[in-house]
Amino acid sequence: MLAYIIRRSSYGVVVLFGVVLFLFFLFFTASSPDDIARQAVGEKALPEVLKQWKINHGYHLPIWPGPGHWDENLLFDHMRKMLTLDFGRSDADEVLIWNRVRAGAGPSFFLTLPIFVIGLALSIVISLFVAFFRETYIDKMGVLLAVLAMSTSTLLYIIGGQFLLGKLLRWYPVSGFDPSPSVIWRFLALPVLVGVASSLGSSVRFYRTVFVEEIHKDYVRTARAKGAGEMRIMVAHVLRNSLVPILTQVVMAIPFLFTGSLLLEAGFGIPGLGAVTFEAIEANDFSTLRAMVFLGSLLFIMGQILTDLSYTLVDPRIRLE
Amino acid sequence: MGRLFQQIGPIGATFVALVFGLFALACSNNPYPGEDEGKKVLYLPFSTSPKTLDPAISYGTADTVVTNKVFDTLLEYHYLERPYRLLPSMAKSIPEGETLEDGRVRYTFHLRPHIRFAPDECFRLSLGEQGVKNGRATTAQDFVFEIQRIADPSISSPVIEPFSHLYGFREYREALEKKRKSDKDFSKLRIDEQYAKAGEFPGAVAVDEHTLVITLKDAYPQILYWFAMPFTTPVPWEAAQYYNGKEGRSPLAEHPVATGAFVVTAYDKQAHMVLEPNPNWWGLKNPDAPGAKFPEVPEGKEWDDVRPAAGKSLPLVDRVEYRMEKEAIPQFNKFLQGYYDFSGITRESFDKVIHEGGLSPEMEKVGIRLDKDVDPGVYYLGFNMDDPTVGTAGGERSRALRQAMSLALDVEEYLRLFANGRGVLAQSPIPPGIFGYDESYKNSYRNFDMEHAAQILKAAGLENGIDPKTKKPLRLSFDVPDTSPEGRMRFLFWVNQWRKLGLNVQLEATGYNQFYEKMIKGGYQIYTWGWMADYPDPENFLFLLTGPMARSESGGPNNANFKNKEYDKLFDQMAYLENGDERLRIIHQMRAILEKERPWIELFHPESYSLGHGWMKYARPTGISTIAAAKYYDLDPKRRSMARTEWNRPILWPAFALLLVILAILAPGVLTYYKERT
Repeated sequence: MLAYIIRRSSYGVVVLFGVVLFLFFLFFTASSPDDIARQAVGEKALPEVLKQWKINHGYHLPIWPGPGHWDENLLFDHMRKMLTLDFGRSDADEVLIWNRVRAGAGPSFFLTLPIFVIGLALSIVISLFVAFFRETYIDKMGVLLAVLAMSTSTLLYIIGGQFLLGKLLRWYPVSGFDPSPSVIWRFLALPVLVGVASSLGSSVRFYRTVFVEEIHKDYVRTARAKGAGEMRIMVAHVLRNSLVPILTQVVMAIPFLFTGSLLLEAGFGIPGLGAVTFEAIEANDFSTLRAMVFLGSLLFIMGQILTDLSYTLVDPRIRLE
Repeated sequence: MGRLFQQIGPIGATFVALVFGLFALACSNNPYPGEDEGKKVLYLPFSTSPKTLDPAISYGTADTVVTNKVFDTLLEYHYLERPYRLLPSMAKSIPEGETLEDGRVRYTFHLRPHIRFAPDECFRLSLGEQGVKNGRATTAQDFVFEIQRIADPSISSPVIEPFSHLYGFREYREALEKKRKSDKDFSKLRIDEQYAKAGEFPGAVAVDEHTLVITLKDAYPQILYWFAMPFTTPVPWEAAQYYNGKEGRSPLAEHPVATGAFVVTAYDKQAHMVLEPNPNWWGLKNPDAPGAKFPEVPEGKEWDDVRPAAGKSLPLVDRVEYRMEKEAIPQFNKFLQGYYDFSGITRESFDKVIHEGGLSPEMEKVGIRLDKDVDPGVYYLGFNMDDPTVGTAGGERSRALRQAMSLALDVEEYLRLFANGRGVLAQSPIPPGIFGYDESYKNSYRNFDMEHAAQILKAAGLENGIDPKTKKPLRLSFDVPDTSPEGRMRFLFWVNQWRKLGLNVQLEATGYNQFYEKMIKGGYQIYTWGWMADYPDPENFLFLLTGPMARSESGGPNNANFKNKEYDKLFDQMAYLENGDERLRIIHQMRAILEKERPWIELFHPESYSLGHGWMKYARPTGISTIAAAKYYDLDPKRRSMARTEWNRPILWPAFALLLVILAILAPGVLTYYKERT
């Protein structure tokens, strides 16, 4: 087990290294240090100011290594910073990137945790329900609605939710965020509803398939022959045996609770990490963007390792070597 | 069925109750905690986070939502008068420039008494606990300190060019850099000591605590405008020293320490910002100073609603609350619900709000007010005068081509199609509200006249746009910094009009960075650009076409690379004159050169529409973003509170209806199932 973890983690480091390198190539083929500086100092600034900004922010170094500057170039500097987790300051506004990450993780977590918990519980309940009534009109309607829900863009959910529940019915604020305990739920209700609704379709389809497959297995027939009630069969047998595919999805999602949702946060004005990424893209803020991509990849790799580990917990037959 | 509930009943019921409970608890669309009802709190949205609040760096409009309220300056603009007029603010009067023997010009600012920085933790460095509680008296040296910061290369201020007019500015900048490089211990000194020991800076001197003397190396009367911008607000050395972003402290870019009417009390620039009146504001102790009370109101009926405010002590509101709204549609919806006091108009709702140029009856009914304001800026298409086909080298033929292309553009139709008619047709670079703008002036090449355009082309030997050399339509390229489908549509509008003349104009759409690169390298013929004024002076527009500012010569903002000796000579005369007949005469001469030479096709001056609720009082658009408009606003919180309640009663029945529908659909299936199988 330990050997497995060490092996997986070292693969992870290699992947991470690749991602960081790839990010650098991508970014600097699309833009140059001049672009970053130009964005920061504004289009009216003189070339002299641009040059000074680059010196103050370390972008005056050559991009690639070469004779005389093997260790004094942007690529080397970039790799060193990423691998030591020294993200530095934002190119756009000089704020420490770690501070921004800390400030954004909270709101992101407040948003994604309820979406995750409610979404998971609701989709399992609904899938069990439609699987239970399989091949009746309830199941067919479930399929229809799930496919419909899957095919609708998240943006439409956001705009539609804001229009219907915020503007027409006036249940919730159209957008915004306030962390004070008296109002935070008001702000979270609508994005959480929208987040749950937009993910429900695909998860119901997925879980239903898993459950229906289990229902037709021999052990279910045995249980029924022994006189177990339908509900006990669904919850104690079918659900429990379907945990492996469910866990794959669930554990994978846990690390991303902190990175937030790009679209929801931008659409509802929630100052989480998704919004930070969104803003960094808009502002050509390379230092923030690379930190966010780095953290995203790190969490992704951690998620994968965790998923593998969790298999052993729910299914004793699985051994990691 | 009974066992079913025994098994999952308690957990399921708790879960369902919890979820429903949470949603029910949340059921109110009021985005604010209730305790502020009845207070004069101004609620405003902001869509872009301020980049920096460091006054030596801050230049963008996103920053001004904070900077224009917290940073007071020696001079400020009259809130209502147009063309804009400077008034003394923290200075007792507007100084006259005294010309010295060698051409230098001296301005002496006398500070008002009782100017203090707002209380702040940083004053512990100089005054201990007293400073934290009461702030510190502001002296002329604090103004000098800020100008030294602009000169400091490690700060990379974007405005070193205008401040280079200060006597010894460049030398001081270089001396500071040299000292830091050659002497490692120098960089460890306290920041104000570094500045003091770096060398002489005769351009900005504090003669005594209340007298600041600015000396320019040459005449540059526009310098006064820079003393109405946050760049020249006083900054305490304690703030620069203390707020360095180290050991858990904010950087100065996030924590202003200032003398303005408001102080920042909450600053989470990704979500919300709060400003409250500054207890140390100099205006409270100088109640008769122009910036401390509501100004006199011009004659005329349109000012009647503002008249009662004249002479009132400022500021009039208790607090200003900003909330982040990235997307325009939710922001506008919240405005309509009464949760924001002001709003722009989204394109999606334009037809609903505006009816035949005025407010729609629907909006009028709820007491909304519309203000239109022409922004002090200009959008234009430029020709690269260095280009052999469209530029100076092409001689008479190229000039005729530029004139014809200018005549072929129907800006009115463009504004109607793409800007909901918002904009004033431009006849020259100078926009309304700026000295030198002339409403009656008609540029003979800026009306839409295809026939005349075709005639000019024919006379120049380019009949139907055919190049006599190649016998094919003349091929030109048009560079734009916008690759979006919408942008393409907008720019193709111009291209298509030129194509009607027979010209083969190719649209070259790239991202902004590539576009900028092209501008620097010079490989372009026609381009699009805009300019917003830094300060309300014609010099700030006309300099964009002077030879020394040519992009190809000096990297300056004259992207048209227009170099005309006569124009440059006139500019040098005009720039240093006071507003008056002589200045106007020269501006007209310059205008005539541009009319004939056509380095630019002036398109329009953008116009912004803003909506305000009926409970807002004394609000007028300001155009220039450095004006602290919020200082002049007042509101009727009772009326607002009533409107909010009335407009926002939740409609709950659809929730119950939905629940019933779901039950009605599921019930038959569930019942049948249990009947058949159990």
